[in-house]
Amino acid sequence: MARHGRTDDKRDSGHEGFFDMDRSTLLLVTRRAPSSREWLWYLPYMAVGLFALAMLALVWGLQKREIDLERNALARDVQWAEQTMRLHLQANQEFLVQLARDFAQGALTATQFQARIRQHVAGNPELSSVAWVDYDEKILWAAPFDTADWMSGERLNANQALGFINAREAARPTYGEPYVDDRGKKLLEIYVPLFDGRQHVGAMVGVYSIEGMLRHLVPTWFTEKYQLSMVIGEDKVLASSSAMRPMADAIAYVIPIEPIGHDLKLRTVGYRTTSQLSRLVPAVLIVGLSLVIVGSLWALRMHLRRRVQVEKERDRLFNLSLDILCIVGLDGTFRRINPAFERILGYPPDDLAGTPLLELVHPEDVTATVGHLRALSAGVPGTFENRVRAADGRYRWLAWSANPVPEERLIYAVAHDVTQRRANEEALRAETSFRKAMDESLVSGLRAIDMDGRIIYANAAFCRMTGFSQAELVGTAPPFPYWPPEDLDVCERNLALTLSGHIPSGGFETRVMRKDGERFHARFYVSPLIDSEGRQTGWMASVNDITEPRRARAALEASQERFIAVLDGLDAAVFVADANTDEVLFANRTFKAIYGFDVVRRSAEEVAPGLSPQRTQYAVDPRVLTADDLPRELFDGEVQNPLSGRWYHLRERATRWVDGRVVRMAIATDITDRKLIEEVNLQQQQRLQQTSRLITMGEMASSLAHELNQPLSAIANYNMGCVNRLQSGEYRVEDILAAMQKSSHQAERAGKIIRRVREFVRKSEPQRAPCRLAEIVEDAVGFAEIDARKAGVSITIDVPRELPPLFVDRIMVEQVVLNLVKNGIEAMQGFAADRRELDVEAHVADDRHVELSVSDRGHGLPADAGNKLFVPFYTTKTQGMGMGLNICRSIVEYHDGRLWAEDRPGGGSTFRLTLPIHLEE
Amino acid sequence: MVDLQSGHASNVQCVHLVDDDEALRDSLVWLTESQGFKVAAYDSAEAFLGAWSPDMAGCLVLDVRMPGMSGLELYERLTQLHSALPVIFITGHGDVPMAVSALKKGAVDFIEKPFNDKDMLRLIETCLSLDHEQREKRSHTAEIRRQLGQLTQREREVLDLIIAGKLNKQIADVLSISIKTVEVHRARVMEKMGARTLADLVQRVLSAGAG
Repeated sequence: MARHGRTDDKRDSGHEGFFDMDRSTLLLVTRRAPSSREWLWYLPYMAVGLFALAMLALVWGLQKREIDLERNALARDVQWAEQTMRLHLQANQEFLVQLARDFAQGALTATQFQARIRQHVAGNPELSSVAWVDYDEKILWAAPFDTADWMSGERLNANQALGFINAREAARPTYGEPYVDDRGKKLLEIYVPLFDGRQHVGAMVGVYSIEGMLRHLVPTWFTEKYQLSMVIGEDKVLASSSAMRPMADAIAYVIPIEPIGHDLKLRTVGYRTTSQLSRLVPAVLIVGLSLVIVGSLWALRMHLRRRVQVEKERDRLFNLSLDILCIVGLDGTFRRINPAFERILGYPPDDLAGTPLLELVHPEDVTATVGHLRALSAGVPGTFENRVRAADGRYRWLAWSANPVPEERLIYAVAHDVTQRRANEEALRAETSFRKAMDESLVSGLRAIDMDGRIIYANAAFCRMTGFSQAELVGTAPPFPYWPPEDLDVCERNLALTLSGHIPSGGFETRVMRKDGERFHARFYVSPLIDSEGRQTGWMASVNDITEPRRARAALEASQERFIAVLDGLDAAVFVADANTDEVLFANRTFKAIYGFDVVRRSAEEVAPGLSPQRTQYAVDPRVLTADDLPRELFDGEVQNPLSGRWYHLRERATRWVDGRVVRMAIATDITDRKLIEEVNLQQQQRLQQTSRLITMGEMASSLAHELNQPLSAIANYNMGCVNRLQSGEYRVEDILAAMQKSSHQAERAGKIIRRVREFVRKSEPQRAPCRLAEIVEDAVGFAEIDARKAGVSITIDVPRELPPLFVDRIMVEQVVLNLVKNGIEAMQGFAADRRELDVEAHVADDRHVELSVSDRGHGLPADAGNKLFVPFYTTKTQGMGMGLNICRSIVEYHDGRLWAEDRPGGGSTFRLTLPIHLEE
Repeated sequence: MVDLQSGHASNVQCVHLVDDDEALRDSLVWLTESQGFKVAAYDSAEAFLGAWSPDMAGCLVLDVRMPGMSGLELYERLTQLHSALPVIFITGHGDVPMAVSALKKGAVDFIEKPFNDKDMLRLIETCLSLDHEQREKRSHTAEIRRQLGQLTQREREVLDLIIAGKLNKQIADVLSISIKTVEVHRARVMEKMGARTLADLVQRVLSAGAG
């Protein structure tokens, strides 16, 4: 039943464990929700992308601003250059106007013309030559020298003529269209028409070399920085300051040259100081580095993912472990524990964090555990077992394996629940010791043989019986060593019967030989030995040494005899009677001697009616007692047998009889003698109190003598003092008188003492009353009986009851008689036993007196005793005071009687006294 | 009641009476004085002990039975004090065994009440003469002891050798001194001890129990 229950429990707890595990796994999953995790993972990527974009935008903005700045600088420079160029052109134009004006005024000769031109051209090299053309388009002068186009005396060509006419028509200086001459030179001409009044006279023509304009009209730094080109139309380049071609996307600025017109523009292209490549570098770097970051993030993520995976696996192992896993601080407190802790001990994991391990350890294991923890704290790994309290208060055995990590100040510990193992071990040990004890304590020997008759087992009792050790017996084949040699054939037959299975169920008896050769009788009971599969593997025999029961029976009989002997030897009557039926079950010899030898099986009330107290006298009614109330005191007291008159001290107990029924066990001790003695003692005590008056009288007499000595001595002294003085004649009369007075004082003092005594005696005068002498003598003799018995004296009383009553103080007379009787008893000490007889006799002496005599057979009266006998303080006894007889005589004389002693004929003495008869008046 | 003055008169023999009974004490004084003895009476053993001195002369008449310190106890006390005073016990009836034990301890005698006056007076006389002898002897011994005490260490040595029977020459050898010196010492010893002859000297020294 119990075992079944336990299995159920186990199954239940297993279920619980699994459930717990599921729950914890769920918990784990929820705690590591992937959405939030993944989202987190994208954050760095986004951040990196945004950062890169921001950086690119920043770089782009910076570059754009730089280009704008450049462009502005270019525009400013170009405007400046154009302005410079215009100023130069205006200056040249004014020069030509001046020249023309001078010509018109006729103040100009060819030579002058030549000189002025030469001077002007030297300062303004852009102007290659100047020519004067008359109204009919004929070149008159050309300076500084003639050119192929402008040869003195030549006519204007069509191109030149167009400019000349336009200027004439406009009546103001006008630029002609630029053109390329025969030599490939790009030229530009300015026509300054000259009017004489309204009469057109001609024109002064200035020829500019376009290359010269570009070369000379702007400073050198400008041309170094920018490429300056003359462009006509959209992109027809007339001339350029540099042959180097600027980049395609270089910044260009085109500005028309105002005074010239003819769609002639000045184009400036800045040389790039920073290359396109360098401009790309930051962007490239930003993008590149971002990519690197993203890549490393990715790698990190991969790594973390692997780590998380590993951690999850470890956690799963930690949570799934059937053993307790825990992390304990060096201070012994739990830091982390796995769910197995709750499964095994029932504590929720969160409750235990921070709890010291020692709080849970069984008090008996604390010391050992502290030692282990100390060793662990020192960094030594170790294993140990201890008991730990579970949440339900029970203790469980845990086998710990712990590994300290000093640098973390932690101990990693694994604990395996070994309670079951412990319990199993315990049970196994108990079972083993139980079996061992059973085996050891078994009185019956057990011996097993296999089917071939070989001994396969012999228990301790069998070994004890035979004296052979187990090793000597097991494995031996017949004939066995305990077979007596003389009974070999019998033993072999028995073995054959055994093996064939024909042994009677009552077993067989045989003799067995001990190792030391001693034989004993044993009874073998044989039964087949069946193994777990139902096959018979041999025969088991139980062996009983029947020598012991025999001896026990004998011992029992002997003890029974002893018991009977003891009980029969008691002088107390012992009997046992059934509490209900009153049947006598046992009676000892003393009881039988009193009540007959056939009392057993008869009713106790019937055989010994006086020996049972009344039912009401019992402490409890023995008939209602059950076995649980035993033993019980029933009665403890004294009872008198009404038939014999003897007294018994009876003690009754209710007890259990040998057959289990409730019985009365009674022990009756005859206490008649003791009771008598007690009674006598009681009487004696009473009498002693009564006679104390007399004893006081004796003491009185003694002190009286001493008292009287004083005054008497003084009187004698005074008298003799006087006598001496009177004899010597040397005296003073007054001295003598004083002494004599003192002397008479002392005589008075003596008289007073005597008077005091007399008063005392008068107070204690006998209180006389009528009484019978027989009673007085009976009492007195009863008093002395103990002494008489002790001294072996027999007392004969012959005091007739019909004697006339006396008129005496009964107690005093009793004392006198007692005194005389005692004296008689003491007088006979040391004489032959048959002589020790004391006779007390009384008879009427005359019509007024009765005479009582006490006669002994003692040493008689001393020869000279005579009158001294009754003198105070005369004694013949070693212990006596000598007052007894004196007082006795006083008492008798008080009663007007006489007390005297006389020798008894045939030895001894007789004391006689007479006492007055009560006279009725 | 108590005549202390007479009790203190040293070296004059005196009968000391101790009895608690006034009449008996007074009558005894009366009787004793009738014979011419000097008497001092005390009403208790304690009173006598208070008056007692070692050089008391005379005898002590002591009632055995007294309230307070008994006569016997007083006697034992005196014995402890080395008193040499002879003691007569007066006993009443029944005190005889007590008196006998006192006698065994050295008391002179006892007398039973009522006593014969002649017996009493005779006993007192005996005791006084005994006391006288003892005192004589004691004073003689004391004198010799005093004389011996006056000797110098060397004189004492010489005296010891003289008593041992040595001759002057032998004494000189033993003490390593000259015979002349021995003779001087010897003369001085004789003078100090008041001895006339050598025999006288030896007898004196030996009688005092010194040697």
